[in-house]
Amino acid sequence: MTAVIETEGLGKRYRKLWALADCTLAIPAGHVVGLVGPNGAGKTTLLNLATGMLAPTAGTIEVLSGQPAAGPAQLARVGYLAQDAPVYAGLSVADHLRLGAHLNPGWDAEMARRRIDQLDLDPGQKAGKLSGGQRAQLALTLALGKRPELLILDEPVASLDPLARREFLQDLMEIVAEQQVSVVLSSHLISDLERVCDYVIVLVDSRVRLAGPVDELLATHHLLSGPRRDPATLPDGLEVISASHTEVQSTLLVRTSGPVLDPAWTVSEVGLEDLALAYMKQATGRGHRNRHLEVQK
Amino acid sequence: MIEFHLDSRSGVAPYMQLIHQVRHALRLGLLRVGDQLPKVKDVAAGLAINPNTVLKAYRELEYEGLAAARPGIGTFVTGTLDGGSLAAHGPLRRDLQRWLSKARRAGLDDESIEALFVSTFRSASEEDIA
Amino acid sequence: MTWLTWRQFRAQAITAVAALAAFAILLAVTGPHIARLYATSGITGCHGGTCAGLPSQFLIDLTSGRSFPLLPDGANAYVILYFLSVLVILVAPAIIGIFWGAPLIARELETGTCRLAWNQSITRTRWLTVKLAVTGVAAMAVTEALSLMQAWWAAPIGKAVGLGGSASIMSEGRFGSFVFPTHGITPLGYAAFGFALGVTAGLLIRRAIPAMAVTLAIFAAVQVVTPLWIRPHLIPPNRTIATTEAAQANFFPTGGSTIAVTATRVAGQPGAWITSSGAVNAAGQPVTAPGACASALPHVLGGSGSPKWDNCLASHGIRVVVSYQPVSRYWPLQLTETGLFLALALALAGLCFWQLGRRRS
Repeated sequence: MTAVIETEGLGKRYRKLWALADCTLAIPAGHVVGLVGPNGAGKTTLLNLATGMLAPTAGTIEVLSGQPAAGPAQLARVGYLAQDAPVYAGLSVADHLRLGAHLNPGWDAEMARRRIDQLDLDPGQKAGKLSGGQRAQLALTLALGKRPELLILDEPVASLDPLARREFLQDLMEIVAEQQVSVVLSSHLISDLERVCDYVIVLVDSRVRLAGPVDELLATHHLLSGPRRDPATLPDGLEVISASHTEVQSTLLVRTSGPVLDPAWTVSEVGLEDLALAYMKQATGRGHRNRHLEVQK
Repeated sequence: MIEFHLDSRSGVAPYMQLIHQVRHALRLGLLRVGDQLPKVKDVAAGLAINPNTVLKAYRELEYEGLAAARPGIGTFVTGTLDGGSLAAHGPLRRDLQRWLSKARRAGLDDESIEALFVSTFRSASEEDIA
Repeated sequence: MTWLTWRQFRAQAITAVAALAAFAILLAVTGPHIARLYATSGITGCHGGTCAGLPSQFLIDLTSGRSFPLLPDGANAYVILYFLSVLVILVAPAIIGIFWGAPLIARELETGTCRLAWNQSITRTRWLTVKLAVTGVAAMAVTEALSLMQAWWAAPIGKAVGLGGSASIMSEGRFGSFVFPTHGITPLGYAAFGFALGVTAGLLIRRAIPAMAVTLAIFAAVQVVTPLWIRPHLIPPNRTIATTEAAQANFFPTGGSTIAVTATRVAGQPGAWITSSGAVNAAGQPVTAPGACASALPHVLGGSGSPKWDNCLASHGIRVVVSYQPVSRYWPLQLTETGLFLALALALAGLCFWQLGRRRS
């Protein structure tokens, strides 16, 4: 399968700090990819590198087999929704559609107008007067209007109320079902992404900790609980992600490609949120001195 | 047409929940052979879940022989479950009613009856697997 | 992109058109009076020595009387209009730099809308090019329009001053530090420079309000420095040495026993712009004290010389060295100064493109 985003040792440094380091990914097409991690982990940096708003300090990145923002043709294939959905406050909703039509040769005016109608947005309304959810929807329409192959959304629902959040994600899923578009969206809340993503990347402290299809990750991670035991005594092939012990009991989160046969363990499934949290704890627990860096906008 | 819902706290994978709901609907007679299942797009949009999840559920149903996809039109019910409705199990129902009266006369309240049933059911299932 | 630039610029454009219209109406209403007064002053068609006082007379007639009830005593409407009209052209580039230039990129950076624009199917280079070109051309057009309107209105005044007349504030010739940058083609250069300065400040500082302040400060400094140190040397001035009498020198005490000498005329070069002058002795060295001619002093301080003073100085070999730009250098100087500021504007624009590319790394 072709990759929508391919990186090799990608890194970005601001003065002395690495906002992103050693990032090697091959994100396949046709998925809704969730990029999750704490604030300052490097999510926005990675997305900015993918859209060409930043240039790498180290390594390479290829988007849809081309260089990010290399020219109008490349820009036309990637739709982007920036954090907080910036729109021109003084321009009306209809003006924004005209903006899209003028600046994008591949603009689908009919589709854009239909979406605006469906969303019950008043075309004459100034964009500055829209609610947060409406702004996000307008910005999404702008990103989609040029019929991109890849849609990149930076924390699209972070500042939305729960209803607006749900409506936005419903809308996004409808679009994914209708059009052949791959989506990469970032969030610092995993609950936003759980139902929506079928591929997940966990980014903590500027590094990728976990990446893969959700189904596969959930199938290869298990929660083992049983009598107290030293994790080092476990057989090979079982990678311990996190362990917690009481005097008599041990609970381990392990990654394995085969079944767990030891009858002493009670094996249970892990949810995506718990899995991501375990990897995040593992990452910060290692005591790396990399400081969290808020990305410059 | 049936409508799906999701319980995000049940611990059951979303696609499994969809499959269960289709099977449940088939058992209850809400879905009959030839009925159309909700469109993938509508389910994905209604529940805010990934369309691939819905596709996976529908494919599983196809594999079980319960549904079939007609490209460009939709997915339609093609099979029934266990060859009958609940009404066909009259004798089993009467046995169960008799057992319930016995349990009540033994002094069990509703919760104890339910707990007794569930634990017996589970251990019986495990014996079946082993 | 042209549509978007225009749409974002629309409100400012309407303001500019309204201001231009108001300016035009004001000048159109008051202009004919000046022209009529000039026509009846007898300056045109007059030749010979008796005409010498006519230009000043015309200007005095223009600047006295005709006071509106609202104005304080002594403030004549035409003096005020002349002052204001020149002022408007002088500050227009600064206003454009502040209100059109500084927010052009800074507001987009502040609100994040630049990220919206940069992810449409156009490159950042094209985005900036169109924004700079459309707004920059508008800036130059507006400023030059103001200048041309004022030039039409004040044409008789300029002619009178050129012929040697002077009254109130209408005394500067075409090289004057208020007249030169507001007439001819220099307004184009200043408009381009002021605008480019604002845009660059906005891009580097990334916030509109501080950028506005910086633009104003730098532009004001340039306005002060240019007539003092830059304009006189854009084209190397001519030099000549003349007697104090021929140069109609003025003398001013400058503290202690030193006296400054300024020439007011270059023989054979009417209307020349004197950029500097000073007294020198026979060997060509600068002289600051009256020396041997001190006895003739009390009569002449603070004004032009008396024959005794001039003869005494001349007999001691003390003369005036004058640096000046002849009248024929007016248009070359205009072109050079405009070219200088256009080049500065282009350099600033280049800096903007370079900085825009640098945001990627």
